[in-house]
Amino acid sequence: MLYLSECLYNYHLRNSRRRFTTRLLTFCFRNLFRRKARTALCVLGVALATTFVIAVGSTTMRYTTVIKEMNVLFSGQVMVVSKDAIVIQAIPIAGGLFQESLAEDIKENIKEVEKAVPVLFITPIRFEEMIQLVPVNFSMGIPVEDWQLIIGPTPLKGGVGHFPTNESNSEVVIGASLADQYNWTVGKEIMVNGHKLNVTGVLDTKLALLNRCILMPLRLAQEIYYSKSKSVNIISVKPVQGCSQEELADAIEQQVEYVNALTEDERNDMIQPVLAQVETWNLGIQTVIFIMSLILVMTVTIMSISERRRDFATLDAIGAPLSYVFRLVILETSLIGVLGGILGIVFGSLTAIVLSSLYTNIPLAQFFPTILEIVPPIYMIEIFLAVVVVCCIGGIIPAINATRTRIAEILRTEY
Amino acid sequence: MMKIKTVDLTKTYRVGPSRIIAVDKVNFEVNKVTFTAIVGLSGSGKSTLLNLIGLNDCPTSGKIFIENTDTSLLSDRERRKIRLFHIGFVFQTFNLLPTLSALENVELSMSLAGKSQKEQREKAVRLLENVGLGDRLSHRPRELSIGEMQRVAIARALANDPEVIIADEPTGELDSKTAKEIIGLLFDINRNHKTTVIIATHDEKIVEIADMLYTIRDGKLKLEH
Ligand SMILES: Nc1ncnc2c1ncn2[C@@H]1O[C@H](COP(=O)(O)OP(=O)(O)O)[C@@H](O)[C@H]1O
Ligand SMILES: [Mg+2]
Repeated sequence: MLYLSECLYNYHLRNSRRRFTTRLLTFCFRNLFRRKARTALCVLGVALATTFVIAVGSTTMRYTTVIKEMNVLFSGQVMVVSKDAIVIQAIPIAGGLFQESLAEDIKENIKEVEKAVPVLFITPIRFEEMIQLVPVNFSMGIPVEDWQLIIGPTPLKGGVGHFPTNESNSEVVIGASLADQYNWTVGKEIMVNGHKLNVTGVLDTKLALLNRCILMPLRLAQEIYYSKSKSVNIISVKPVQGCSQEELADAIEQQVEYVNALTEDERNDMIQPVLAQVETWNLGIQTVIFIMSLILVMTVTIMSISERRRDFATLDAIGAPLSYVFRLVILETSLIGVLGGILGIVFGSLTAIVLSSLYTNIPLAQFFPTILEIVPPIYMIEIFLAVVVVCCIGGIIPAINATRTRIAEILRTEY
Repeated sequence: MMKIKTVDLTKTYRVGPSRIIAVDKVNFEVNKVTFTAIVGLSGSGKSTLLNLIGLNDCPTSGKIFIENTDTSLLSDRERRKIRLFHIGFVFQTFNLLPTLSALENVELSMSLAGKSQKEQREKAVRLLENVGLGDRLSHRPRELSIGEMQRVAIARALANDPEVIIADEPTGELDSKTAKEIIGLLFDINRNHKTTVIIATHDEKIVEIADMLYTIRDGKLKLEH
């Protein structure tokens, strides 16, 4: 008889697992719903934690991709910048002007040089008296015959318009994000630093830097920002075939002692420690936040279990398998994770774009369509899974407590 | 019919320096379908004994045999299965799950036993109708009177057609009229379902209807008739 029931038990358990789980799910929902305020607060706590992780994570991630992107421009080239410039990825964000003629000197005196292009990089640019906290708008002056070397084969949006053709007239091409924000279209006349400029094209590119950039002929840039002085802050140097960037950089640094010549590797190395630190901080913050969520979920669940000891003891007495009780508790905490995670991802993504908007002064409306770029879906899934797993783990100790509750103890402690 | 037999069953508790003998060398036996009552004052060891017999607790010494199997040799999993399939429990405090309806409380036992959902539903409805709660199926425990709660608990105990129902002071929380109804219900079940009922109570009135009557005092069990 006992043997037969054993067989039945196993047979039915195997065959009814699915029904079993859907039932279990409703059961869990009701148990959670029974303490509405507490469950809501716990879910909110988890949601806030997720919000924070998503917002901080995606914001820093965005900055690091932008920084990494900078190296896409100027790829294959040695960048020559003044020793007293402050650079990010070899792009001077402050100081370090020198004479444009240095480009020609380098070209003439160093045999490894195939081409040397002087570039004027300006950030932030101000127009309409708007002041930016973080550099988001850029301007770049490049000699018209050398565009390709710097920005590669970037097309114009819709194939409309053309790149500036003449050094001294006032034609510019602009990044798509700038165009959207200010409603600038091809043919439009814009004011930059008190100068009238004509938009002749909108760049079609994924690079954040180019998207926020006004590209113009070098002469024009010098005229607008430095009243015609022939200053630049970058010289982009292309090595001759068969010559490595390292050799070329060494040669340049030997010739001109007031500049740094940075190869692509060196540029990456410069930024690596910063990126690594950002990564580490990010990871640290995430870990702390997740541990706090874990503690929150664990505390709340331990309390809820201790209130429901009678229920668990009853389940034990009527012969529920340990795994049933265990799953009941784990499923409850996982549900908290699922709800908190979903809410958190929604809040977090919104926070991330609000932050982006605040930091860049770009209107919020413009960020909405790019929400999946700012918070990539894969990142959302990653964080969501992490939250659910954390809540699951938070349920383990309470679940073990629950399975240990025996009717013999309950009857005494409560009566 | 399930045979239950205990041999010198003893359970002691250590409270500080002293030792309490809650159940003292009890020899108890049921080997045919009976309505068995265990009568004793509060604190005499009724609950402790029933928890031992129902395999919800382990003895300090002595043995419990179910169908001539020494239960001390069974694993936790096997003991659980016996509780699920062969024993129905009715508690003094009903112990219904508060978030499940009457129907779901009854169905849960069957669901744990792996019955199909259709089977669960049909049988739960029938059981609840049999205990007079056909119109209370979807009520939650807190929407039921205590008498009704105990009826649901009895229906739940019957869910997997157990051979034995163990009822620990099932009328302890009830008024005398409801108590009488509940006792009557358990008695009917014993007679109609051919299910052994082992009931603990301090209510002397049970004496008249019990087939077998034990009294318990300071953990010592005595067969009266
Ligand atoms: N877990 C326990 N720890 C200590 N003493 C206990 C425990 N459980 C029961 N007892 C003692 O055992 C005796 C019998 O208790 P119990 O079986 O609950 O009696 P009844 O159910 O007849 O009222 C009592 O004296 C009680 O104090
Ligand atoms: Mg008792």
